[in-house]
Amino acid sequence: MSFCRRFPAWWSDLSRRGVLLGAGTLLLTLVIASPAAAQSREQIARGKYIFGAAAGCGCHTEPNKAATALNAGGRRYDGPFGTVYATNITPDPETGIGKWTDDQIITAIRAGRRPNGERLLPVHPYPTFNGIAEEDLRALVAYLRSVPPVRRANTPKKITVPMFETVFLPAWLATFAPRETPPPAAPTSGLARGEYLVRAVGHCGECHTPRGMTQALDNTRFMSGNPKGKGPEGSMVPNITPDKDTGIGNWTEEQIADYLATGNLPNGDVAGGLMGEVIQGSSVGYKDMTKADLLAVARYLKSIPAIKNKVGE
Amino acid sequence: MRRSKACAGLVVLSLAAAVAAGCATETKRQTKMGSGDVVADRQRLMKLHGALWTDIQNKAKANNIEGIEVSAEGLAVAAQFIPVLFPEGSLTDKSKAKPEVWQKWPEFEAAAKKLQTESEKLRDTAKAKNAQQTQDIVKDFGRNTCGTCHTPFRVPPARSS
Repeated sequence: MSFCRRFPAWWSDLSRRGVLLGAGTLLLTLVIASPAAAQSREQIARGKYIFGAAAGCGCHTEPNKAATALNAGGRRYDGPFGTVYATNITPDPETGIGKWTDDQIITAIRAGRRPNGERLLPVHPYPTFNGIAEEDLRALVAYLRSVPPVRRANTPKKITVPMFETVFLPAWLATFAPRETPPPAAPTSGLARGEYLVRAVGHCGECHTPRGMTQALDNTRFMSGNPKGKGPEGSMVPNITPDKDTGIGNWTEEQIADYLATGNLPNGDVAGGLMGEVIQGSSVGYKDMTKADLLAVARYLKSIPAIKNKVGE
Repeated sequence: MRRSKACAGLVVLSLAAAVAAGCATETKRQTKMGSGDVVADRQRLMKLHGALWTDIQNKAKANNIEGIEVSAEGLAVAAQFIPVLFPEGSLTDKSKAKPEVWQKWPEFEAAAKKLQTESEKLRDTAKAKNAQQTQDIVKDFGRNTCGTCHTPFRVPPARSS
């Protein structure tokens, strides 16, 4: 009597499945425990941290939709050239960036080019993000690939200025856009760390630095704020230079760090508007940065030239 | 029988009259509340919230957990006045409110209610002298209560200091 005859067919089938399941589990355990997998987990965690320090890349998530449509885009931005909608940067292969290679994603982040060569509008601040270190960008890409894919087709942009993308934008980028320079490695401490987080990753200047007539950031007035109608979405943006009368010169480093971690201002107010959004972030935001990094940001902000510029009444 | 019915009717009428008189007095009292400038009144209320919140943070830093109870109670009571101080059409030049307050009124009301309930939660935790839990609530309180209203419903102030 053969083995198969002595045991019912379902038992044999189950045994085979059990062996397969056991082997599969063992393989999975080995893969998870392998240094490569551990490195990948570490990289995703690092990428998530950078994502938070970049304000949770909040432009790409519609308000209050982080739980269901993180990074799925759709948020509307009006500019002097027309209207654009944030794109889907989830790993969805059809509507997101699932089919892009790591290098293609990095090129889009720092050089503003899609895989087909098409230029992104600098509403996505690639001249600033060019200052992010390669290792942080690779980690950021690992994180972007780790979030759930969302199928949401991008809303087409509406450009109202003729020849804007073919003539004006390339000329503007070549002539006026101040491009940050990436460090060979991400600074880990001190003023250099603060500068790196403020200027490149946190892209604070995109809102807090006034723009000149050409709409390029005017770094001679670095972080001195924007009056109502000049900030993003027409908002007023405070002067965060160390000027004592019109900036944050009276704040201590501890108060600045505390504000970025909690949204609480020294006067009892709590952040709202876009600043409230970037502190909160989408999945993560400024609030999730380490105390050491927040203090580095504060120290750097206290070190930049004080500029007297009163925004608002 | 007729007499008892008449008595009952009299009692009901008296009660109705008393309630009506009470309402009139109450309405009169409510009218008298505030300065008559609802925008100035709500800005004062928000300053009061800010003062109470600063007080709570200072007490948390000093680990004065019991002291937080009374400030949190104050915040819970003050929060109840928020919807009343945002009547429709009160969007003047001096107001920092966004039109979204009235466009999304149920969300605005819910955010005000959240401030009240979270303040009560903080009050009760402080009253129970649960130091760690109180500190945990304080840590995220501003963002989760005031912030959820300021972000969608308020024009950011020019200066933050």
